Amino acid sequence: MHIRIDIATTPQAVVIDQACRVLSAGGLLIFPTETTYGAGVDATNQAAVDKLLAYKSRREGKPLSIAVTDQAMAELYVEVSDSAKRIYERFLPGPVTVISKTKGTVAQGVASEYGTLGIRIPAYPLILEIVKAYGKPITSTSANGSGEKRPYTIQDILESLSEKQKGLLDLILDAGELPKNPPSTVIDTTLETPVIFRQGNIAIEGAADANSASYASHSEGETQEIAQRIMLKHWDDLKSKGIFIALHGSLGAGKTIFVKGIAQFLGIQETLTSPTYVYLQQYDFNRHEVTGQLHHLDLWRMENPNMIDRLGIEEMLGLRQVVAIEWPSLASDELQALIKKHGVTFIAVQIEEKGDTRHITCQTLS
Amino acid sequence: MPNFILAIDTSCDDTSASVVSGRSVFSNVVASQTELHKKFGGVFPTVAKQAHRENIEPVIALALKRAGITASEVAAVAVTQGPGLAPALEVGIEHAKKIAVANHVPLIPINHVEGHVLSVLAKPKPKLGGTRHMLRNHTTDSEVKLPALSVIVSGGHTEFILVRKVGEYERIGWTVDDAAGEALDKFGRMVDLGYPAGPLVEQFAKQGNCSAFRFPLPMTTTDNYLMSFSGLKTAARKKVEELTATAPLKTQQIYDLCASFQYSVFHAITYKLNKYLSSLKSKSLELQLFGVWLGGGVAANVTLRRMLRETIKPYGLELRVPYSKKLCSDNGAMIGVAAFGKFDHQEFKSVDDIGDVERIPRWEIGKAH
Repeated sequence: MHIRIDIATTPQAVVIDQACRVLSAGGLLIFPTETTYGAGVDATNQAAVDKLLAYKSRREGKPLSIAVTDQAMAELYVEVSDSAKRIYERFLPGPVTVISKTKGTVAQGVASEYGTLGIRIPAYPLILEIVKAYGKPITSTSANGSGEKRPYTIQDILESLSEKQKGLLDLILDAGELPKNPPSTVIDTTLETPVIFRQGNIAIEGAADANSASYASHSEGETQEIAQRIMLKHWDDLKSKGIFIALHGSLGAGKTIFVKGIAQFLGIQETLTSPTYVYLQQYDFNRHEVTGQLHHLDLWRMENPNMIDRLGIEEMLGLRQVVAIEWPSLASDELQALIKKHGVTFIAVQIEEKGDTRHITCQTLS
Repeated sequence: MPNFILAIDTSCDDTSASVVSGRSVFSNVVASQTELHKKFGGVFPTVAKQAHRENIEPVIALALKRAGITASEVAAVAVTQGPGLAPALEVGIEHAKKIAVANHVPLIPINHVEGHVLSVLAKPKPKLGGTRHMLRNHTTDSEVKLPALSVIVSGGHTEFILVRKVGEYERIGWTVDDAAGEALDKFGRMVDLGYPAGPLVEQFAKQGNCSAFRFPLPMTTTDNYLMSFSGLKTAARKKVEELTATAPLKTQQIYDLCASFQYSVFHAITYKLNKYLSSLKSKSLELQLFGVWLGGGVAANVTLRRMLRETIKPYGLELRVPYSKKLCSDNGAMIGVAAFGKFDHQEFKSVDDIGDVERIPRWEIGKAH
């Protein structure tokens, strides 16, 4: 059973005291922010975080964010890079989530599989006061069970929850209907160029859009990490539509390395080797109980576009299917037609080498 | 009557069929061979829609004809079940099943890499006509001393496989990215030699200096027998770009590049082979090798053979290679030779169980399915 407090009619000191009691007991609270209602637990308490992860079904590797009071507090939990500092100075507190590398000081499951963690400093004084009084960061993730509509009223939230999820709630801080502001802008500052993964109300100059981003890689490991991030961003697309990835770049640019990163993201254990000779290698994957296939193709040896029929690419497109094709330009018209017909998410990746750096440009085209 | 096996391989581009008895090869037909181009008319693209479907019946018919037998005389049908390209494998398996059922003979599913491993055991058919009676004592493996280490180098594979017994294999090392043959082909295209460039690279390398250009030796810090060729490919591309920045490549530069790159690819293999052999020696394990076998399309390369011989000689080992070049690249005869031991031990699918046999596109040798 949860308690519901109307913050308009309750003295603020009482609200803060109640919130802190719930947090220190490992409880889950729903709180308002300048964007949507959020779900909060003590981000350093493993049992509390596990409870939140049970409430937010199907996180599947996506990071949670934490709310802190200021940059000094953020630095206890993440490495704040120079580009992150500039964003803190200009936009925070405000509706921007800044992703940095975790210092490993929060509970398991808060940071992403790749060691990244989002920081929020909400422009909502009550929440800043609660975090300040509590002295530890609280998770700040949208209060809906994953995938439901954005929660602007408590009713929105309760309607979307199962009885089991409702049973996990301990305290609701009700601020009535919130203005319909979009969720926060999410910017990843762990890459050389900051990349916007979700555009909210705040536009950040000099940052790349993840739907048309350019990443710099200095090693095979970095190329694989970039591939994993891109896959994480498109994980929901993969489940609902399927993904087609066209890989462009000269011989030895690192296209197969990129696909190795995709395989890692999907939890494929086998060594992924070049499909050049056999044209096609297929791997089963199981990531967070979602099963599907990775189809890794290489058209380099292809002499005629009819090969597309023989390889049966059309049958590979669909839900929970990743088709990654090297040298797709050899059959580009045929492939474009197939992508259109099946409505899969189309990501074009171009890898270019300049000196020791590889520039990976990634465009989501549909 | 000797037991004839009809063996079919459609693992990738080539459609091939062969008739063997014991380890003797009575015929070995591969559809990318020029004779078939002539016989069945016109262009025979190696990669074309339905190519295997169009090729397979004439290829089988020719294999039987050259062996001087009919389909009703075969004792079993062998077919590549994997690894390979799924839709291509399917064509071979379908036809093999059909012939097995029609003639009430068992089906023997074979791992393509096992075929390459055992290709060194193939023998040419006995010279004189009417020699079928000479084949009765075909199954003795007396001249096959085991264990041996098989080195497979082709466009699709680069592997070290320990052969404890015929039929008992352990993968010791393999490539983590490109195959060695693929690296040679891709390098060849960088210097505009077309596809497949491997054989041309070999030819041109003979006119070149293999120490003219230095390419890095990959995977030296890893404490295993894994190989990698994609870094070499990148290094070669950079070198070619550097050389062509000002002027097109001179003829001698192309020869030197071919010689140097080919040397680097083969050195990456012999380096790991040497590492394995020396580990066997230093650990004085119970395992004593009796030979090194070479198979796969690149096994035809004489430079590779020489470099391997030089590597294994200090260990008192000799290199065994297939008796013909045709047995190196993908072919049906090697599948037949691999099938024969299984036939003798009745490791096959009888006509009633044939339905279970399905393609296994990524079947690792030594692993059960």
